[in-house]
Amino acid sequence: MKVISPTGERVDLMTINVGPSHPATHGTLRIFAALDGETIAACATEIGYLHRGFEKMVEQGTYSQVLPYTDRLNYCSAMMNNIGFCKAVEKMFAITVPERCVTIRIILSELSRIIDHMVCVCTNLVDLGALTNFWYFFNVREQVYVIWEKLCGARLTNTVTRIGGMYRDVYPGFVDDVRGVLLKIETAVGEVRGLIEHNKIFIDRTKDVCVVSASDAISWGWTGPCLRASGVDRDLRKDEPYYGYETYNFDTVIGTSGDTFDRIMVRIYEMIESVSIVRQGLDRLKPGPINSPDARVSLPSRERVYHDMEALINSFKLVYEGVRPAPGTCYDATEAANGELGYLIVSDGGTNPYRVKVRPPCFTQFAAYGDMLTGAMLADVAASLGSINIIAGELDR
Amino acid sequence: MMVKKSNVPDGPMLPGLSLDQIVTVLAEKFTVVRDASDQWGLTLVAPAEKLRDIMRFLRDEPTLQFAMLLDVVGVDYLAYPGHRGERYAVLYPMKSLTFRHRVTIKVTVDEDACVVPSIHELFRSADWAERETWDQYGIIFAGHPNLKRLLNHHEFVGHPLRKDYPCQKRQKLSINDQMLDQLEARLRARGYTILDHGESHAGTPITDASSVPSLGTVKAGDKL
Repeated sequence: MKVISPTGERVDLMTINVGPSHPATHGTLRIFAALDGETIAACATEIGYLHRGFEKMVEQGTYSQVLPYTDRLNYCSAMMNNIGFCKAVEKMFAITVPERCVTIRIILSELSRIIDHMVCVCTNLVDLGALTNFWYFFNVREQVYVIWEKLCGARLTNTVTRIGGMYRDVYPGFVDDVRGVLLKIETAVGEVRGLIEHNKIFIDRTKDVCVVSASDAISWGWTGPCLRASGVDRDLRKDEPYYGYETYNFDTVIGTSGDTFDRIMVRIYEMIESVSIVRQGLDRLKPGPINSPDARVSLPSRERVYHDMEALINSFKLVYEGVRPAPGTCYDATEAANGELGYLIVSDGGTNPYRVKVRPPCFTQFAAYGDMLTGAMLADVAASLGSINIIAGELDR
Repeated sequence: MMVKKSNVPDGPMLPGLSLDQIVTVLAEKFTVVRDASDQWGLTLVAPAEKLRDIMRFLRDEPTLQFAMLLDVVGVDYLAYPGHRGERYAVLYPMKSLTFRHRVTIKVTVDEDACVVPSIHELFRSADWAERETWDQYGIIFAGHPNLKRLLNHHEFVGHPLRKDYPCQKRQKLSINDQMLDQLEARLRARGYTILDHGESHAGTPITDASSVPSLGTVKAGDKL
């Protein structure tokens, strides 16, 4: 492509596609760039390769049937999507889930956050050629998946929550398993941190690369670790605490420059904070019910169903029809691994959601990606894409 | 150390205004009505022609500071039981990063004109969010510089999240969007003058749709 540059020179730009099926595009994304030498003069990005009509599909089923679909949003931390959706529906019913359920949800959320950050950081490092970290993190992540498997039978897409509670209580030995894996997580985080934090190659590739200022990040609607890396100390767990996060002792981690380095390091340090939250959660785990006693959402016990006509009807209606939130529009959000995961639900009072809009955190992050890359080098495409943690499942829905 | 840890570096989030106070502050300047359907938070129905002013006010007013537009959400009320009024609505959930308060602005959209003003100049997050809403609902965001489909294929016909779009309908889609127009627009915005579009590189997809045999018309119910 022959152009006249802003400085008045005649240059020949080369157009090149990175993706949609490129090893460094985490998922299927397309980056169409015009290169001046190795510098990206401008680039346009395209998404939608994994669009499967999530929002159309969920309108066809009941609220409970939405849950398995939410697993497929951010599949690196599927449980957090389950929890976010259940929390939104529970808000519509004004239900408070039992304390044990809340604590289990926090433990599962924070473990999910850790494995999500692990995938984000180590695949980003693989894109930079640092393969060793991948094994350190994926070894531990595998052990978390073993816990998931024991917990609910599924590894990646768990559907572990139910509206008003959990699929089932944790298995005997869960606490010991989690405590064991936390020690290994700490070791792995320490090893990876040791390998990269002062590594000259890593610093050269990531420091001052694709810088996003705090004001830009806010205008782009960034949330979560990427916003914090730009120096904005905002975390829903602190700012609008839910599930009693305000009673847990943990720090938010913020960056100073908003570059790729900070986005990776914020996640590394957040893992350590999450380990501490999980430990506090395990200490608080007291025996008790895991499902809300509210008959509008929770199935009655089997003993009651077999001996009580009302309970039988209740069970039948919940299974064959589903839950019915009050008509209206409700927005609710949780701090997922990637940032603010919001669900805007429009209910018409019926058993199927009238409209569910997911606010995936990486959507706003990837919207900024084309601007982030402008003026960067071609090699920075791979270096910075991992740091904004694009999960095509939630990006394209 | 590149990353600092802290409990409250910028000070804790301030409590902010109550929902009633937000309504009062806005109602002094604009005609907004609280939407009774949102009993869990605050949704305000605003007139579309004042949308830009309202959004700017929400962002810049010192007592509000709704700095972040979280999303742009389309809703089609065609099948909503007992619904009266315009068929579509666009919702704009917003939050403040200074105060602990949130608001959702709701604009109703007439079925025939199907247009609302774009706010991409006020919030950069509106750029893609508005494209997605156009793609899924066919709502036009007047003034948007690049109102193209985002999630669906560029050859897709119709707007799938409309309630009258059949869930099972299938369409045959084949040729990639070349995106050269978007790339050139971005180059021009940076001060480049384009002399020729260049030869197609091995990496660019099929360049010219006219060189591909026509696929014919695909009707609903066709087995593809």
